[in-house]
Amino acid sequence: MSPSEPDDLKRLGERIDAAGRKFAGPDQDAAPTPIGIAFRLGTELVSAVIVGTGLGLGIDWAFQHWAHIQTRPVGLVVMFVLGSLAGIRNVYRTSQQISAKAAPKEK
Amino acid sequence: MAMNPMEQFEVKPFLIEHPLFNIGGHPIYFTNQAFFMVVVVLAASLFLTLTVSKGRLIPTRGQSLAEISYEFVGSMIQSTMGHDGLKYFPFIFTIFMFVLFSNFFGLIPYTFTITSQIAVTFALSCLVIGVMIFVGLRKRGLHFFSLFVPQAPWYLLILLVPIEVISFLTRPISLSVRLFANMLAGHTLLAVFASFVVLLGAAGGVMSVVSVAPFILIVAIFALEMLVAGLQAYVFAILTCIYLNEAIHLHDTH
Repeated sequence: MSPSEPDDLKRLGERIDAAGRKFAGPDQDAAPTPIGIAFRLGTELVSAVIVGTGLGLGIDWAFQHWAHIQTRPVGLVVMFVLGSLAGIRNVYRTSQQISAKAAPKEK
Repeated sequence: MAMNPMEQFEVKPFLIEHPLFNIGGHPIYFTNQAFFMVVVVLAASLFLTLTVSKGRLIPTRGQSLAEISYEFVGSMIQSTMGHDGLKYFPFIFTIFMFVLFSNFFGLIPYTFTITSQIAVTFALSCLVIGVMIFVGLRKRGLHFFSLFVPQAPWYLLILLVPIEVISFLTRPISLSVRLFANMLAGHTLLAVFASFVVLLGAAGGVMSVVSVAPFILIVAIFALEMLVAGLQAYVFAILTCIYLNEAIHLHDTH
């Protein structure tokens, strides 16, 4: 190690800082684009409805198949409604996350 | 003229024409998908090991790229999960680099985009949710299931608990569909505009001049796809962090 190295390092650090200030672009936690938000909320809602409907069909099928009880379409109807509610819950939670992330920037 | 924009997503045997082996009567092929998975894993591993093997104090371009991605994931984990989240750094970093390299490799012409297959992204997100459940159960035991019980009067819980369970079950789906749909849509768009260029160019006359317009659009869309490739890897990784954080801290952060 040469004795001049810490000095070199310090100078390099200063140069990096200066370059960083010069090229300070959008940082990593910049607010997401509107289309990104729309797409994210959309998938949250739709996937919950799909899961709910799938579970409903599954429950009806399971009762029919193993217990020989005709529940169709009660399971489907109930789970579809629950799935839709879960979708709205998802959207609410996601939008809260997004606005919580954007909030510190606004002040 | 065969110009199907979806043709690029076809999974087919690659290099080796006959099945490798059989599982329960189903032939298992070495597909183009498998080949590019191997390529992506090798490329990511080689990139990370070779660039930092020298360990220079003043990094080369390659080394600083590797260091930036390391610090990027590190700070992402710190900001979402706090300091004790760094234990899961290897897992999240692996997922991030895999998705990032898959997305970027897919942008190279004549390659296959492995993240445009729902089977791949769904398997990845099932892994994430599986790890989340495993970590949650090991850290919190049965208390982990309080994740499904929001603070509410008991008569509302009858309704709320199933909703929370369904909401939890949608996570692997929304996580995988987001990545898959973004890659699929982007690559289809590129292929559609590329076929416009060829069709208009072949039409001759004024049409050939007009074919410059979709070509310029391709350049723009390609730039957008570069952004999407990085962004989707970031989104996948940060959602992994958020889910793991929920498993570790349960209701602490709300």
